[in-house]
Amino acid sequence: MTTQYDAIVIGGGHNGLVAAAYLARAGRKVVVLERRERIGGAAYSDQVVPGFTFSVFSYVVSLLRPEIIRDLELPRHGLHILPLESTLTPLANGDYLAQWNDHDQNKRELARHSLRDAEAYDDFSRLMHLMARAVKPMLSMTPPDPTSTSPRELMGLWRLGKYFRGLGREQFNELHKLLTMSSADYLDEWFESEALKGTKSASGIIGTLHGPRSPGTAYVLLHHYMGELDGVFRAWGFAKGGNGSVSAAIAASAQAFGAQIRTQAPVAQVLIENGRAIGVVLEGGEEVRGKRVISGADPRRTFLGLVGAKHLPNDFVAEIERFKFRGTSAKVNLALAEAPDFTCMPGVGPHLRGAISISPSVDYLERAYDQAKYGEFSQRPYMDIIIPSMIDPGMAPPGKHVMSIFAQYAPYHLNGGWTDAKRNAFGDAVIDTLAHYAPNIKSSILHRQVVVPADIENMVGISEGNIFHGELTLQQMFFLRPVPKWAKYKTPIAGLYQCGSGTHPGGGVMGAPGRNAALGILAEAA
Amino acid sequence: MASAIVIGATVDGLVAAHYLARAGHRVLVLDERSSASHSSTVGWVPAPIARDLALEQHGLRIERVGPWLAAPLEAGGHLELYQDIARSVESIRRVSNEDAQKWPSFCARMAAAARVLESLYTAPPPDPLTDDRGELWQMAKWAFGTRRAGPQTVVDVLRFLPMPVADLLDDWFESAALKGALGAMAVMHQRQGPRASGSTFGLLHHHVGSPLGVFRPARSNIVQVLERRPGIEIRRNAQVAQIQVSGGRVVGVVLSGGEEISAALVVSSEHPRRALLDQLDTKWLDPALVRALRNVRARGVVARVTLVLDAAFDQPNLVIAPSLDYVQRAHDDGKYGRVAEQPWFVVSAHRVEPAYGERAAAATHRLEVHLQCAPYALRDDQGNDDRWDDSLREAIAGFVVQKLREQQPAITNSVRSISVEAPADLQAREGWYEGQAYDADLALDQALWMRPVPALARYRTPIEGLYLCGPAMHPGGGIAGAAGMNAAQEILRNR
Repeated sequence: MTTQYDAIVIGGGHNGLVAAAYLARAGRKVVVLERRERIGGAAYSDQVVPGFTFSVFSYVVSLLRPEIIRDLELPRHGLHILPLESTLTPLANGDYLAQWNDHDQNKRELARHSLRDAEAYDDFSRLMHLMARAVKPMLSMTPPDPTSTSPRELMGLWRLGKYFRGLGREQFNELHKLLTMSSADYLDEWFESEALKGTKSASGIIGTLHGPRSPGTAYVLLHHYMGELDGVFRAWGFAKGGNGSVSAAIAASAQAFGAQIRTQAPVAQVLIENGRAIGVVLEGGEEVRGKRVISGADPRRTFLGLVGAKHLPNDFVAEIERFKFRGTSAKVNLALAEAPDFTCMPGVGPHLRGAISISPSVDYLERAYDQAKYGEFSQRPYMDIIIPSMIDPGMAPPGKHVMSIFAQYAPYHLNGGWTDAKRNAFGDAVIDTLAHYAPNIKSSILHRQVVVPADIENMVGISEGNIFHGELTLQQMFFLRPVPKWAKYKTPIAGLYQCGSGTHPGGGVMGAPGRNAALGILAEAA
Repeated sequence: MASAIVIGATVDGLVAAHYLARAGHRVLVLDERSSASHSSTVGWVPAPIARDLALEQHGLRIERVGPWLAAPLEAGGHLELYQDIARSVESIRRVSNEDAQKWPSFCARMAAAARVLESLYTAPPPDPLTDDRGELWQMAKWAFGTRRAGPQTVVDVLRFLPMPVADLLDDWFESAALKGALGAMAVMHQRQGPRASGSTFGLLHHHVGSPLGVFRPARSNIVQVLERRPGIEIRRNAQVAQIQVSGGRVVGVVLSGGEEISAALVVSSEHPRRALLDQLDTKWLDPALVRALRNVRARGVVARVTLVLDAAFDQPNLVIAPSLDYVQRAHDDGKYGRVAEQPWFVVSAHRVEPAYGERAAAATHRLEVHLQCAPYALRDDQGNDDRWDDSLREAIAGFVVQKLREQQPAITNSVRSISVEAPADLQAREGWYEGQAYDADLALDQALWMRPVPALARYRTPIEGLYLCGPAMHPGGGIAGAAGMNAAQEILRNR
């Protein structure tokens, strides 16, 4: 029996599922092939210890596009996003900086650190809102090809130019600054409080092998504000049941539209006949045939692994080889016997329902990066911590807690490579650092799971464990992602497409690459 | 009476002065220093300037020494890079066959990208938001011209500019010596190290105007030529204390001695912060502009060590930057406000101009060492402000002499004098604002229509008749006189 599919999606990560759902919604016959026994890719939850649910890898919903939530009716399929209300930054001297959702409370707290910063904060927020609004449309744009002379591409470039010019001088220049400046320099123009600058600049270093003083990191400051823009959908927050429930909801939606999802169906190879993708071969030898093959795997895995360099032009292969991954982000997931008790804000309180950021100053982050640059993990890492069980009690048994610690830097290319001993040593560095601020943490750990980039590569299959399927730096963005001339989800192989985070607009549990790819394919077929 | 005053006898100030004089202005150049600089000027001399001001007839000499760079190798001997590609290839082959093979195509790709920048550097910066049809037409012409260079060049420019130069070099080469030396050229005068995004822009900037395969700006005697060239008047020891404004128009300047000189056109080659915030009453300026000006990053990171020698030094273009990590570590120290424990440096053997000072006249050889990172503003381990002192200068001198001795053991006996200039000294001597030769750091957010701040990018200030023409203006430092020429063109076009 041979079923001919309209589209075969490789990989059941959130982007693959989004692409499948959109195609199925348009009446296409779609199958998703997932290597592992569970869907979700890096957005998945697991009970590593009975009773404790860990969002093993990605742990917050960042920028999940509201149009996707709407189009795929995700709330109906079980998506429930809970807000993260605050950010607490404990400081070395026993003080803290807390950022609250409440405007006045936030301003009072900032004023405690710097009157000037409290004054500047409203203007800063207003500007960031404006800029986030200016950038947002680009997320759902298919990048034009700046090298092509075809009228269609020239038209695309013209429209892009017109869009930018339409922003007006002030916003245009500000966008230029945000794209090219370091978050440290950008924030220096506004604020003086180290704790505030440290915490804000931390968003710019996530997933990259760059420090807060490296140009190009300022842009990510906008992401937080984009989330707020999405407003009622609470696109920035914590998914009830862990991040696996995001994937589950998208999968349920895709299935409701008629897509098939097969787990334990590892794709070994893309079948190519006369320069055209005609299907895939599974590891067991089974062939699955389809008119189009859409890969949610990262570019290196897709082209050098599943397709094979021999089917591709040499310069394209060279570009893919050049594409930078360099995962730097690790996760430490803890099952805790009791809630952490922070010296700076003792007891259980609303601060534990938000994020806790170990980013006391820009220099602290920069020092963490200094070690990573030379192939060592940070002894004093940057951390972004949430305690999901405080927001969603179902994540842990009563009275007990789960803690998700995102930690950086743990470079994939570690001197001497990653070993169990080194993974443990990194876990210890994270816990020791945290114990400095919350001394009861060590004695309350029931179970500890440490996931470094090498583990992400082994478990999820992302090259070098980069959480964004390739560094999100200016030279790997927009029409350069992943490869110039091939940033439109198409590939040099007819019938083969990409829909993963290695394409525009990149990583995060955003879903935009999957949606853009699917809409492109539908427009093409129409 | 002068019809135009130019503040600062710098290369940009002098070029602007000569262009204005050529257009009929009576130009007075005011310079606060007592004499001209000893040093030759670093930077490509754009062809239009040489042509318009007939610099060659006036004695312009561009120093072209081969090799332009010599990096010592661990195994002994040097890696030498020449203007002659074939000779460079020969030399690179000593460290890596593969790198040697790639060198010609690397040079060609970089040259094509640098040509795109070059076409932007010899004119006022484009304004992408202009509604002026003429300007839009110019921009469209430029865009099509660039695309004609081929899709590879378009992609290269887009990708190279924001890229860390370490990534670029790692993509191409394997030799640590080659990568270290080129990486150092890219971050010259920058606080950012080679692993920082945007450092490839530095490599391209320093390549503009240079021949294929040369990534270090040439030195020339352009300042001395411009000083000698007739047509303008230069007054030394003339420090401008105030720029006078009346009714929103510039009317002249007041010197620190109290002397008033009136002119309806004042062109300052000094740092915009100095011209607009120190010498001007800020009541004339929009607070947003004042804030933007205060935020311009100008972070001096260079110390200059000058050695006067009795005997010749074998490697007149020695670079000590053995690997990208070495260079990056030097910049890591700089980031925290410390002088690098192991700084990188590059030597240039100087032509001695006997006209300047006795000591130089008697000397046979003069080595100028450009050393990084040595920040203008130092901080101690606790993060408090720290000061430059003699022990720090001695440590730097000791480090340089030790490294030079490793190259030429006999050098210790031939050193007649050695001096170390900290960034603050370079500000006093060369007019480098806070020791930053480019006045404003070379960075993508301070380039083109953003340089130094968008409101001033066209050399014009909110004060009628007051213009800026220093290296803080497009296209920035390291390009000899381009900002001066562009400013003069803009002034003449406006009048």
